[in-house]
Amino acid sequence: MTQPPPLPPPEGPAYEPPEGPAYDLPTGPPYDPPAGPPEGPAYDLPPPGAAADGEWHRQSPRMLLVHPVRVLWSMAFPIVIAFIGISQSDNEWSVRLLPVIVVAALAFGLIPWFTTLYRFTDTQLQVRTGLLNRKEKTARLDRVRSVDLESPPLHRILGLVRAKIGTGVDDTRVELDGLAVADAAQLREYLLLRGSSARSEGDPGDGTPFRPPVVGEQLPAGQLPADRPLAEPVPDEVLAEIDWSWLRYAPFSLSSLVIVATAFGLFFQFSDDLGFFSQDRVTDAYEWLLAQAIMAMVLTILLILVLGWLVVSTLNYVLQWWNLRLVREPGGTIRLTRGLLTTTSSTVEEERIRGVQLTEPLLLRAVRGGELTSLATGVGSGGTTKLLPPCPRTVAESVGHSVLGTEGPLTTPVRPHGPAARRRLLIQSLWPSLAFTAAAAGVAWWRDWPWWSVIAVFVGVGLVNLGVAELAYRNLGHQLTPGHLVSRSGALQRQRVVLERGGIIGWVVRQSFFQRRRGLADLLATTAAGPEVVAVTDIPLPWAVELASAATPQVVDQFRSAGKES
Amino acid sequence: MSTVTGDPALREPAHKVSRRAIGYWTTTAVIWEGILLAVAGFVYFVVLPERWWWATAILVLVVIGAIVEILVVPRFKYAVHRWEVTPTAVFTRAGWLNVEQRIAPLSRVQTVDSTQGAIQRMFRLASITVTTASAAGPISINCLDQEVAKQVVAHLTEITGRDKGDAT
Repeated sequence: MTQPPPLPPPEGPAYEPPEGPAYDLPTGPPYDPPAGPPEGPAYDLPPPGAAADGEWHRQSPRMLLVHPVRVLWSMAFPIVIAFIGISQSDNEWSVRLLPVIVVAALAFGLIPWFTTLYRFTDTQLQVRTGLLNRKEKTARLDRVRSVDLESPPLHRILGLVRAKIGTGVDDTRVELDGLAVADAAQLREYLLLRGSSARSEGDPGDGTPFRPPVVGEQLPAGQLPADRPLAEPVPDEVLAEIDWSWLRYAPFSLSSLVIVATAFGLFFQFSDDLGFFSQDRVTDAYEWLLAQAIMAMVLTILLILVLGWLVVSTLNYVLQWWNLRLVREPGGTIRLTRGLLTTTSSTVEEERIRGVQLTEPLLLRAVRGGELTSLATGVGSGGTTKLLPPCPRTVAESVGHSVLGTEGPLTTPVRPHGPAARRRLLIQSLWPSLAFTAAAAGVAWWRDWPWWSVIAVFVGVGLVNLGVAELAYRNLGHQLTPGHLVSRSGALQRQRVVLERGGIIGWVVRQSFFQRRRGLADLLATTAAGPEVVAVTDIPLPWAVELASAATPQVVDQFRSAGKES
Repeated sequence: MSTVTGDPALREPAHKVSRRAIGYWTTTAVIWEGILLAVAGFVYFVVLPERWWWATAILVLVVIGAIVEILVVPRFKYAVHRWEVTPTAVFTRAGWLNVEQRIAPLSRVQTVDSTQGAIQRMFRLASITVTTASAAGPISINCLDQEVAKQVVAHLTEITGRDKGDAT
């Protein structure tokens, strides 16, 4: 990190970006969105497979096996407990009760199959669920933006798929369980093509009817003009595939930490019962020897923990990312398939991907790794989808660039926010230090600790917090490329968010009382994608206005004071 | 390339909110601070009859806070709150200690709502909320004259109705 540049003077041409011509944006239409899906008039295609008749349908009969297993699994713990209780009580009628419970559970599990119905109308997918509280969910076919397919192990054995369909604006997605594999594949293509063709509606194109290449559909000879390329299968463009050398990054990502922590907790409960740590033992004649033994045991536990962590994290990585394939399909969609036991496929229209995020947690950053996430609209789950597992940062950057369809936003140097921002971050970090010290002073007074221990606490905690704040300042920065707004932030976990300028749907300039005294502001770009807001924090106010104005001049320029365009 | 000379800041939005907003904010402050003072007074005079010095200090602070909230803050807010609707965007400024400026292009507006609480109706005021597809993006214009609010809503609805697409 270089020296932070000084704040620009209040007069004159204020915005002098320090690194190159990145801000030097061309005039004219400021943003040219990437090419959309193939254009052509709307087509009227019936849904594939059995759903074509517009009638209500049930899930595949094979779901009759899945539902009871699901219920039994969710009730496994209470049933086992009940079984143990019964076997100890020697009560004859209660032993007979057990099969009744199991049968009831199985029967209860069958209800969803009978009550779940779905159908396709000309314009909508409708799904009805529920026995007493009936719910009907609908998805407009011309609004379909994403289709995810998922097969947990039992589904895979039975050849079934669960589909989740996301529409443009709504956060909730319509779920369609129990589809046969072939039907699901056809349905995915059909839904995405309906969604994409709806947007090119009204465009006469070249007058030929637009027919999607539906899997398994037999087209009568001569129906399609010979020059129509859509009839031939166009190969997918592969953006990324799993590289098992990335496996070395698995232990540095803490996403499976919860599992190990749970195991650790269980172990300690267990060891408590064995009485290794009981007070009497330590104070008896073998005190010294035992202390050594405890030391050795602590070391062993640590070693087991680390080894366990290596195994669990690697296993988790393999389970999740087996057969990873990230492709750009010819219809203008991005598709991600992965999974060893549970296979998932998520597809989202490329137009809906408004940006990407590169996350570098502390451990992963130490080994030059990173994780790539996409920010999209209409995909549910907070609008973010993991695109890559923990992998080398350079790989994440280049894949991110090919998803964005442009070079630069993930690698371009960011502009630091200057000394005022740094002072604010450092001073802010003192408050928690003071609070902690006050608490320590209270304890010291109560437990009669020496006075200097309080000072030692203050210095120690204060230095750590100052270090974190300095790190936060060094990570803080922003940049604008011809197509994207870039914001980098975070102290221990660093993230770089890249948002397409066309995806910005508003601005918020927020100044707290103390920020106003320092001439700083938080600039928030609001968006429908991902977390719905991209923040550039503690940026000098003139820079914030410049940045917003440069990113969306047609919106912001009219509100600038003394603003003159040349 | 577009260059801008002069003070590189956002200008003020063109319009102030209704002058009666001061009365409205004062009234709501009187109600809330009245409840707070009643509770604080009850605690001080009934629950803590010992009249400890720190309890007195807290009570004095609460009273000062209430006076500031009732007499000063509404005027502060009136000076800060401003709004503007151009043919392409909505622009607002709100707050008093912490100031927030919001801009939303009309092409991305999804809904235009207008609300009027009971006390607002007494003061013939109404608020407008303009939402976009982002949960972080709603823009509120509080305490407009209700006739102005009606016109603005009609105007906004008319403009946003023209745009197609799902505004994401």
